[in-house]
Amino acid sequence: MYSNQKGLLSVYSHSTTNRGWVGWLLSALLISFYLIFYFTEWPTPVAALLQLGNKWTLYGLLYSIAILVGGIYFLRKHGNNRYHRYRTYTIIIVQLIFGFSIPYVMQLFNQHEYYFSYFWPLKIEYFYPDTILKQPLPLVLYSFIGSLIVFPLLGFILGKRFYCSWICGCGGLANTFGDPWRHLSSKSLASWKFEQVSIYSVLFLALTATVIVCVNWAVGESYPLFSHYAFKLQSFYGFWIGAIWAGVIGVGLYPLMGTRVWCRFGCPMAAILGLIQKFGRFRITVKDNMCIACGNCSAHCEMGIDVRSYAMNNQDFKRAACVGCGMCAHVCPRGVLKLENKWDTDPLSRLPGYSVKNL
Amino acid sequence: MQHVIIGNGVAGITAANELRRLDAEAAITIISCESEHFFSRPALMYEFCGQLSRSDIEPYERTHYERMGFNRVTGRVHSIDTEQKILRLDSQEISFDTLLLAVGSRPVQAPWQPAGVQGVGHFVTLQDLEWLKTATRKAAAKRVAVVGGGLIGIEIAEILLAAGFAVQFIIREDWYWPVALNREEAQFIATHMADHGCSILLETEVSEVSTDGATVTGVALQTGETVPVDLLLVAIGVTPNTSFLEDSPIHLDYEARHRGILVNEFLETSVPGIFAAGDCATVSWFDGQRRPEQLWYTARDQGYIAAANMFGLRKKYERGVLYNAAKFFDIEYTTVGLVNFQLEGQSEWYQKIPNQPISQRIVMQHDRVVGFNMIGTRWDHRYFICWIQEGRDLTYVLKNLHKAQFDAEFTPPFKVLPAAITSVSTA
Repeated sequence: MYSNQKGLLSVYSHSTTNRGWVGWLLSALLISFYLIFYFTEWPTPVAALLQLGNKWTLYGLLYSIAILVGGIYFLRKHGNNRYHRYRTYTIIIVQLIFGFSIPYVMQLFNQHEYYFSYFWPLKIEYFYPDTILKQPLPLVLYSFIGSLIVFPLLGFILGKRFYCSWICGCGGLANTFGDPWRHLSSKSLASWKFEQVSIYSVLFLALTATVIVCVNWAVGESYPLFSHYAFKLQSFYGFWIGAIWAGVIGVGLYPLMGTRVWCRFGCPMAAILGLIQKFGRFRITVKDNMCIACGNCSAHCEMGIDVRSYAMNNQDFKRAACVGCGMCAHVCPRGVLKLENKWDTDPLSRLPGYSVKNL
Repeated sequence: MQHVIIGNGVAGITAANELRRLDAEAAITIISCESEHFFSRPALMYEFCGQLSRSDIEPYERTHYERMGFNRVTGRVHSIDTEQKILRLDSQEISFDTLLLAVGSRPVQAPWQPAGVQGVGHFVTLQDLEWLKTATRKAAAKRVAVVGGGLIGIEIAEILLAAGFAVQFIIREDWYWPVALNREEAQFIATHMADHGCSILLETEVSEVSTDGATVTGVALQTGETVPVDLLLVAIGVTPNTSFLEDSPIHLDYEARHRGILVNEFLETSVPGIFAAGDCATVSWFDGQRRPEQLWYTARDQGYIAAANMFGLRKKYERGVLYNAAKFFDIEYTTVGLVNFQLEGQSEWYQKIPNQPISQRIVMQHDRVVGFNMIGTRWDHRYFICWIQEGRDLTYVLKNLHKAQFDAEFTPPFKVLPAAITSVSTA
């Protein structure tokens, strides 16, 4: 099964993967699917028929199937690489257990379902007082320690990849089901500029919404006008960011704009972890003078990073956007790139006798 | 200053960028008849099989030339007036103060290769890529012969297999790519090719190409056999693209098989102010011999040095420790130092991982490690260069080899197997 890089050749010339009519059709279908799930009750009878309680459990089931099937597809293509193998096993297991089974079982026992693999600010309501009050204390502690201590620490030690490419369901879907479209993310300078504005704007919005909702919970009753706008902000964030962007656009546009539209331009968790990553250990090491400028790394980068420009310039790099999926290194035909966690910033300090040829 | 560069390949564009870095004001002109935009030649194979698009294989955005203030001319230079410092193209003349010849290579024509027959070609230029795209659509029976056991040959075999062709790989030598590989290494790489469905004929030469008058129909071998094909790719090497200089005062290496442009250590030709870089330049090697270095990496390095000298810095071109990398289907390959030069006092250490296309070969001269041939896994060549420069012995290198591993995380560390062999060659 893992004998070779099956499918590395001739994968992107098809109408499905190259913004052909199949791609447009798929995108329309995905968007319709999300609109139906989010804004109608049509899936509810189907869920009842399958004895799944509510439509969200059905959604979770479909999501898990997409990750499982997409994961098997991905492993057949790229499973000859251990990093991809372990990463994909983890994504599938996390989704099946924490993304589906546990919430499903909790619901059977009439508990409020809880997603152990999601944290604030991605799951923004986990810091809203209304949600906190409904949860037992251990879960509240789990959520707070996770968001405020463990995640920043792991982001510093391992890079944001520990979450974005190993655990998170959004990233999980992108790297399994979404893999055939990863190359469609825009590499233009303009999209990078847009990304920097949009992702930190959403982060700002998420932080603001959290604070305002908490303040409103504490003192809202005495200030009805404030309360009115606080509620508006909360629903604005929930609707436009949580539902429309993360779901409808984020997944719906896979076949047209690549797989990480949400992670790259919107996700507040990715924004925070990205900032931490800039100061952390994780980096991509570039072997000097070995790049042949072929462009495989840049083309396969789902975050739209022009990896080749660093490789051509013999520059190790840390980019806030990088989710550490490892694909740039994997597809490099000259083995120029390597994902590493290393404290020393200059790998050549390990090589006293070596100097880059002074050209 | 009017700097003119003939050639828009890696040597040419590197020189142009470097000239601009050194001099924000100078007029820089790039002349090319192949492509308006710089592209990665090794990536032509990826565009052919649909893994990358044209814009993917272009390392710079298309506004690059405008932003850098490069003047671009599309056309072929027919002759150079070295006295007047004028280039003659089809419909115009261009004058220069300094000139860089970065004209690259052209494919070697086989003596049996018929002219004007459809379905016969090479895979070196952008035009070859366009031709191959059309030719593979036209080839009804999808049978191809690839002649020539080098890197371009194996890349063509790989992409045509991916395109659904039955591939007959015809190699003149005893084993695949003897310039870089020994018999054992070539054998397991051949097995890997065969596993992908590639059929290989070794020690086989083509005697004739049969046609139906317009299109190729088969390849007759010297054994008397005929292989029926509807496409024939000739990849028996490249040679400096210097025929337009035959009558100019610029000295070529007339005695050699490759008539490269003779340059000194500053990459300057026999005519002052005219430089050459990349595939077309014949430079001195470590052994004192003069030959072209037909590699992407050396073309790039020479581009840098040529630019510095065009600007007037007088920088010497020094190759340093040799290195190269390649890929045989799925098998990655890194080589550093001297592995195939039959050195005096040479010995080798070699091990092969059982049942996997992975091997390591370390070459020593007397006690010092001088070369590495590493197949199937990734290695950081910087360590190897370092150890060669430091003159380390085999014991030290084997003890530290794991540090140079460059595979993806979770790959098991390098180990010396009990079956590893140290042999002393008699050369």
